[in-house]
Amino acid sequence: MRKFLTLCSCLIFLALAGCSQPPEPSNKLLLWHWMTDRNDTFQKFAQEYQKETGKEVTIQLFAPSDSYSQKIIAAAQANVLPDIYGILDKKSIVADFIKADLVADLTKDMEADGGKWENSLFDKALADRRFDAGNTYGVAPGIYGVPIDVTNEQILYNKKLLAKAGIKAPPQTFDEFVKDAQALKRVGITPFVSGWGELWLLDCFASNYAFNIMGEEKIFDTYRGKVKYTDPDWIKVFSIFAELRDKGVLMDGIVTKGNKYAEQDFALERAAFTFNGSWCVNVYHDMNPDLDYAVIPPPPISTAYPLKIWGSAGSTFVVNASSPNKNSAIAFLKWLTAKEQQVALARETNNLPSNKEALAGVSPILEEFAKGMDQSTHPNIWPLNEDPSVSEAFDKGIQDIIIGEKTPEQVAEEVQKAKDLQMAKGNH
Amino acid sequence: MRTNKYVLWGMTKSTLIHVFLMSVAMTCLFPIFWMIRCAFMTNDTVFVDKALIPHHLNFGNFATAWTQGNFAVYFLNSVIYTVCVVGGIVLISSLAAYSFSRLKFPGKNIIFYLFVAAMMIPLPGSFVALFVLMTKLHLVNTRFGYILCMINVGLSMSILLFKTFFDKMPPELEDAARIDGCTKLGIWWNMAMPFARPAIAVIVIFNSLNVWNEYILATLLLEDSKLMPLQRGLVVFQGANSTDYPVLMAGLTMAAIPIIVVYLAMQKHIVKGLSSGEVLG
Repeated sequence: MRKFLTLCSCLIFLALAGCSQPPEPSNKLLLWHWMTDRNDTFQKFAQEYQKETGKEVTIQLFAPSDSYSQKIIAAAQANVLPDIYGILDKKSIVADFIKADLVADLTKDMEADGGKWENSLFDKALADRRFDAGNTYGVAPGIYGVPIDVTNEQILYNKKLLAKAGIKAPPQTFDEFVKDAQALKRVGITPFVSGWGELWLLDCFASNYAFNIMGEEKIFDTYRGKVKYTDPDWIKVFSIFAELRDKGVLMDGIVTKGNKYAEQDFALERAAFTFNGSWCVNVYHDMNPDLDYAVIPPPPISTAYPLKIWGSAGSTFVVNASSPNKNSAIAFLKWLTAKEQQVALARETNNLPSNKEALAGVSPILEEFAKGMDQSTHPNIWPLNEDPSVSEAFDKGIQDIIIGEKTPEQVAEEVQKAKDLQMAKGNH
Repeated sequence: MRTNKYVLWGMTKSTLIHVFLMSVAMTCLFPIFWMIRCAFMTNDTVFVDKALIPHHLNFGNFATAWTQGNFAVYFLNSVIYTVCVVGGIVLISSLAAYSFSRLKFPGKNIIFYLFVAAMMIPLPGSFVALFVLMTKLHLVNTRFGYILCMINVGLSMSILLFKTFFDKMPPELEDAARIDGCTKLGIWWNMAMPFARPAIAVIVIFNSLNVWNEYILATLLLEDSKLMPLQRGLVVFQGANSTDYPVLMAGLTMAAIPIIVVYLAMQKHIVKGLSSGEVLG
């Protein structure tokens, strides 16, 4: 009897495991996302889309983003990914998804009608999911994602606090920035705050000035191991943080501050300048709707090379390559990134739209952020990136400079040591 | 003189102990007080108003949390999940523990250690395997699938706790029951379970808390928002970049009430067990 029951259980299990049918095209689309603040707007869009086209789009929210990422990985392994989803991971993981045939190549659709769809979107945002010929990831060249918004990181200043210190115009150069900071200090205002407890934000700020001081070729040559971190130009980059520390520009505890806390400080007018991304418009609006502020790119320290800021796609959707509704999914994404929807999305969520034509409808502060897209770059679109262990030594070294534990020269030596170690291992 | 010295020492000792206990209690209660305090504030005042009791009380956050967070549906779901999962865990783990403790069968120890070893695997480590299995069984996006997984999560610890109790149960009691004609199931129900009442209280509290606050597995296994537990309602107020703190705190306050009630209801059983020397685990 027992043996019979065991056999029956095994058969039922095997039958259940093997009875999945290949999916068939339907009039329904399924979209998974992680953006809590945009969920209501997406639901409204789904209703509008159904009215317009008769296609039913089910929007499902899975937040926070960590849980969402786990769900995507699990669903990919079980081969039950939805028609449209997002991959919240680095480009190498996106490449793995593409190679596993889980992400559709959208190049043909982007280039159709003389590239109408492609041209309507910010090129820097598309670049995030564009793989060029001969890319290091081994992915067939193409565009594999649709950005629904863009972000960039710049300096923001509180107009009221600057006026209190007698500053009439925002700084145009790094020297002016330091002078303004000292003027603010004299009237008891903390000049600058940022979430530099988060290494990526610190890395972003340092990277902006590295582009300004030595230009991109020298940066990439450093990554290739041809230029050393002890080079005078890199020492100059590290010295910026020593100067900011020595002149009392930075808020106390800046290297332990998460960005959420730095955002509170700026929103509640505890500091006059901050360095943050364009998503902050929504955050500041929630915390202090009366905050009077404006945006400038980080003031350049040199005229040798243009200063570049980080900017790219904010949130990107991809289409499931094995979905029977692939074409409908692409059509929906085309509709979602059309001017009308992008204006509505930007208005309701205070994010920068990915459609350039939708900029006319955004708030003045977002418009200022949008101007920065022309001078933006991002590690995701660079031909090569630094080894993560070297980047970590670089960022933590800067934190050490800020807290006065190390000099720029010492940090340069240590970062170079980390680089030499990686070069010896062949990681370059 | 000597008496006074002892009285003085006793009073000092008692005062020091009470001061210490009060500080520990304060560290536990202050976050709850802060949560309730923030629940009555607005987004404009939550970062600015430093007073312990807010100057202006805003009761609207509770209504906002209830409606915007769709709490009515999620609340009911969480109640269903908690009752079914905790009931399932108590039933299955007590039966399993009784078997491990009292019955003789081949591979008993190996199976028991395998259950105990399962406690060492962190939940995220089994996510992919669990999701693939549930997908194959067509139990993804079903209440039943989620309940089964949550029962599985709580089994190991509960079996260990129950077994520790059953091991200490006097064999004479069992023999007497058997002579009186009690079956194995009868002994489990009439003797073992009442004996393990303090363990049941601990298991109910521990697992209720676990199920009530669970969200990661729910995100993985459930897709329809109508099936999601209460924690899903709270996520609505936490954007990727900004958080609606007052409404979130109001939601948290409402979410905490049932679990506090469960704790208070079960607490007396633990205390009773402790005072009668029955807590053995």
